[in-house]
Amino acid sequence: MTHVADSSPVLRRPAGPESLAPREPRYGFEGRMMTPGLILLAALSIVPFFALIAMSFSRVRLLGGVRLDAVGLANWVRFLTDADMWMSWLRTVVYFVLTVGLEMVLGVGIALCLYRVLRGRNILLSLLLLPMFAAPVIVGLLGRYLTDSTFGLYAWVLRSLGYTGDILGSPTSAFAAVVLMDVWEWTPLIALITLAGLSSVPQSVREAAAVDGAPAWMTFRYIIFPAISNVLLVALLIRSMDAIRYFDIIWVTTNGGPADATKIVPIRLYETAFRFFDFGYAAAIGLAMLAFSIFIARTFVRLLDTRGLTR
Amino acid sequence: MDCHSSQPSRRDFLRGALATGASLTLTAGLSSCASRGDAPQTVGVDQWRQFRGATLNFISENTAPTAAIAADLSPFTDLTGINVNIVTLELTALVQRVALDLASGRAQYQVIYADPYQVLAPYQRGLVDLRTLQADRNLPDLPGGVGDFIPTQLDAAGRFVEPGPIYALPYDAPTMIWQYRRDLFDKYRDRMANDLGFDPTPGGDRTWEEYYGIAQWFNKNAKADVLYGTGHQARQHDSLMNDFSNVLWSYGGDYFDNGRQVGRMGSRDPGPSRLDSAAAIAGAEFYQRLLAIADPGSTTWDWDGVGAAFRGGRLAMCPNWHEFAASNEQVLPGKVDYAPLPKGPAGTANMYGGTGVGISANTLSHERGAAWLFLVWATSPQTQLTNLKSKAGGGTPTRTSVYELPEVRAAEKRPSTMPNMLTAAAVRQAWQPDKIGLRPKIPMWNECNTAIFTQLSRMLTERVSPEEAMRSMKERVDRIVARGWVA
Repeated sequence: MTHVADSSPVLRRPAGPESLAPREPRYGFEGRMMTPGLILLAALSIVPFFALIAMSFSRVRLLGGVRLDAVGLANWVRFLTDADMWMSWLRTVVYFVLTVGLEMVLGVGIALCLYRVLRGRNILLSLLLLPMFAAPVIVGLLGRYLTDSTFGLYAWVLRSLGYTGDILGSPTSAFAAVVLMDVWEWTPLIALITLAGLSSVPQSVREAAAVDGAPAWMTFRYIIFPAISNVLLVALLIRSMDAIRYFDIIWVTTNGGPADATKIVPIRLYETAFRFFDFGYAAAIGLAMLAFSIFIARTFVRLLDTRGLTR
Repeated sequence: MDCHSSQPSRRDFLRGALATGASLTLTAGLSSCASRGDAPQTVGVDQWRQFRGATLNFISENTAPTAAIAADLSPFTDLTGINVNIVTLELTALVQRVALDLASGRAQYQVIYADPYQVLAPYQRGLVDLRTLQADRNLPDLPGGVGDFIPTQLDAAGRFVEPGPIYALPYDAPTMIWQYRRDLFDKYRDRMANDLGFDPTPGGDRTWEEYYGIAQWFNKNAKADVLYGTGHQARQHDSLMNDFSNVLWSYGGDYFDNGRQVGRMGSRDPGPSRLDSAAAIAGAEFYQRLLAIADPGSTTWDWDGVGAAFRGGRLAMCPNWHEFAASNEQVLPGKVDYAPLPKGPAGTANMYGGTGVGISANTLSHERGAAWLFLVWATSPQTQLTNLKSKAGGGTPTRTSVYELPEVRAAEKRPSTMPNMLTAAAVRQAWQPDKIGLRPKIPMWNECNTAIFTQLSRMLTERVSPEEAMRSMKERVDRIVARGWVA
């Protein structure tokens, strides 16, 4: 053992900074290979990111070339004291919870039903996935026409059922409508991901549960859900990132109205930047949205990490 | 010495060729970014032909006159040899593109549809003072001069603050008027007169209270013909501000002190808002009451929505832009008629929504000349007359001489080959200086407008009291104006 220990290069290496032993290069072959990609990434993301930070402390002039006039913390103070902005954040959170929550519940439910279907599953799945292939702006237009009080099919059906209002005309029903349009489009994605997860649940375990007389709920709670929870977490991450920057459907259907009922933060950001051309304030809103997105993403990634799914 | 090593291999050759190609492409790309060529000019030929071979880009809102011009550009191309590409967009998208183009310092769009409130007021420095081109002896004059344009429209659509410079030539002139089903008014006139106690025939003498009475009468008595008496463009949108402003002004309210001047010439600092005045609140109270008996779809409609509902037979009447007359006549031939909007305690006000066409200040000299030729042609009496007859669009002429042409006069009565002219009697009254409704022409109007229609939307859909809504509007407008505007 002593011989082995003495011959070990680690043990024989003298301690101290004056060591002459060759060291691993800090940036190896992999580093050099990544350099072009990193430079491109910097050009596409990091430079604009720093420009955004600079803009958030400035007033941006457009005519005669873009120029920044420093205004200190004015945009951030305005951001923090703008009551309308806080209402938009509240709406965004409610919208986020409702859309993602409904999509998860319905998506898992549909996947469980579909999993039990043996004949015609592929046709059903194809039909189910159709909404997902429409661009969100098309979904918005479709929703707008279907709910239009003059010629909309849904409006006609509701009127014949005794509903006299206008779906997109009152704050509550308009908010519900845009939530449902998003749910209609993206629930199939959750169903698809869940279905993929369900096929990984061992048949033998399910059969064993059935033989032991486990009821459906217990089977789901203790066998299926733990098996698919990691897949669901990934689905949740994907949809969450999308829901935070939700824009198209609302812009096309309600434009943020009525009474600002559907004006979530992305709509307000767009309006500030591209209707009012107040790029300084818009930069502050954009950075806050970025921070919120990173917070949500980190939360999910940490959850995935604790389950050892990120490596 | 290895003779093979001194000769380039095929791989070396390919590598070299690729590198050379890439450098050439990069250099060409950079040089094309760094400089751009002006349009060609041929000296010593007809004024109209001197820029032949040039290409112009015209960015416009998707409006009727542009649709008519785009449908047949050959007269201009034949006359000048200039090619024109027309990009038509929804107004919000247009404003974005124009702002970013002006910021770029280049003139991708040489000719600009300059909405007075969203382009002219905020970006007036980015537009050419057209007097310089009018004075250039090498360029053709405006036929009839600027004096042929309707004066209020020239000021409202073409000038900003200073009375001298002209940044845009009036190009279209949509104006809000009272549109009503003549067939239904004929059918029910006597019964309505008996029940309401006044002659319900729409016209300059009717009041908003009478309009309310007529709408309510239709709601109760004519369900077989129409669902509702009135409908409005009350979506949370620019249209809601337009619809409400007619009532606000007719009740004596206004956005700022000296509102007529701020509307006609514009202002960089209009001072404190007057939206919390007693007259303004009275106007808001009436508007809330009126919308309570209007078609519930109103809160989802902009001008297109209320236009479609009217043509779809849901409504007996509505305030809407007069350029919808052409489509009304297609769907309901002979059944629709027009009048100036009702009056309130302070008179009548008819919102003007006209726009001018201008030239980007980033244009180079010859491009600017070519763009001037297009402006002169597009706003000429002959082109405006052709637009009026066009089946592709339709027009709303901005020159007094066009309205005086015998064939245009004749088209004011049915059968008409120029259906927009059926509104001529109504708009002629609406354009009188004391009856035209001009919203504030201030650089920060876009943001003020959003605050105004958002609070109005709250008043209509959340039942916020008119007083609270108007105070909230004033507070927001004052805050926006105080922040000022930098372009």
